[in-house]
Amino acid sequence: MRVQIDLDACILAGECIYNHPALFGWDEHDQPVALVPELTADQVGAVEQAISVCPSGAIALVD
Amino acid sequence: MTDIAVPVDPREFDSPEFQRDPFPVYRRLRDNDPIYHDRFHNRWVLTRYEDVDAAFQDNESFDRAVYDPDGPYEFGSSHVFGPNILEYGNSDRHRWLRNIVANQFVGKGLTEFIPIIEQIAAELIDKVSDDKRIELVEAVSTQFPIRVISNMLGLPREDEDTFVGWYQALIAGLGFGGEHLARGIAARNEMWSYLDPLIDDRRRVHHDDLLGRIVEAELDGVRMSDDEVKGFIALLLAAGGDTTDKAIANMWFHMLYTRPDQFEDVKRDPALWDNVFAEMMRYDAVVHIQTRYTTREVPMRGKVIPERAQVRLYLGAGNRDERVFADPDTFDIHRTDMHMGRENRSGRYRSQLPGHLGFGIGQHFCMGYAMARQEAVIASAKLLEMMGDPRPTVADHEGIISPSIDSGGFRTPRELWIEWD
Repeated sequence: MRVQIDLDACILAGECIYNHPALFGWDEHDQPVALVPELTADQVGAVEQAISVCPSGAIALVD
Repeated sequence: MTDIAVPVDPREFDSPEFQRDPFPVYRRLRDNDPIYHDRFHNRWVLTRYEDVDAAFQDNESFDRAVYDPDGPYEFGSSHVFGPNILEYGNSDRHRWLRNIVANQFVGKGLTEFIPIIEQIAAELIDKVSDDKRIELVEAVSTQFPIRVISNMLGLPREDEDTFVGWYQALIAGLGFGGEHLARGIAARNEMWSYLDPLIDDRRRVHHDDLLGRIVEAELDGVRMSDDEVKGFIALLLAAGGDTTDKAIANMWFHMLYTRPDQFEDVKRDPALWDNVFAEMMRYDAVVHIQTRYTTREVPMRGKVIPERAQVRLYLGAGNRDERVFADPDTFDIHRTDMHMGRENRSGRYRSQLPGHLGFGIGQHFCMGYAMARQEAVIASAKLLEMMGDPRPTVADHEGIISPSIDSGGFRTPRELWIEWD
């Protein structure tokens, strides 16, 4: 599985990045970016946590 | 390069004048010595918006804790809270602890809890609706957030009044020290004895509440000890209650005394309570400082802060920085040079406008930021709706004060008498 971020929905809250710095970061345009292309099972759990704290609902898990 | 036109005497930080009105000192520091080395208190003081923001953003150089987060640590011996999340610095353990509860306070978890917040607000306001005259701090604001958080934790509702008592002793110990500290620790111990059976129960049987979630959380297969669970709860009660209750009182103070003209706008359009919240957090936030410790030498504006130095980030001063906000000393709910809506942990907004620094920024940004705003806005709107056209009972007010800005004393009015018809 991998992470999908909807930049139109994203409000730049930064919750994903500060809570899961191994999985999310800022790109050179200060937009959020997923750092891991293909997620392990543990990482999927962490992304689910990131989804639950994302105030804009911009993060999704896709196959 | 530093022109110290009016040097700041470090003893000014301890003066009663500073606790009442720190803003002239903040301005002198911003203008003359923005990276101030206070040799008397052995710490560095940052006061410009840009510098406070930069330090909040730079976790590599500025840590919340001074010790090695992976090293041995004696827990909560003298701290009112006992062991708690704030002592874990920038470590993975801090992030793990926050993640256990974070999604209760933002996003969907918070949305689902809002009807309960509304219900508790309605209950409290219903109690005072026939009085036609109340002291807001005692009757409403110190009652409300603590009841919300104890409800969220899953503590029995019939014990809420007892909890309000313990809570008040805890925060007095935190704010005032001395004999208050002793009472705060006594209240903590009573609370801990009370919590023992509730924690035991959740160790045996799953409960679908916040306390259950804290008890069941595992890091590498290990759960928190009883003391860690209790320290966590004490922190949530105090941090989730105290700051928010003072925020509510501050919002009402500014509407009643600072900008009664803009209060008329809010009476016409209650959605403006969101703006009142944002501007209160900028103009005179409940908390004015955050402390960090340098992990390495940090060059700033031609000075070098040494490694392992204590650095005070004066967000209360950065919020009044005229380099960022026009007329920074004017309270204005219609401000167009600041992001007035919901806060972002990142401190960055799509509008490109700067936000207030009242919750901090980044790694240690207030965990309860979204809930605090919701509580403050919901309670204020309901209260105003019940009162209709409230007015201050007395014309003169001593204003917003704090016991001690530097020891973390929160800024708030002592009393706030309001009447209505």
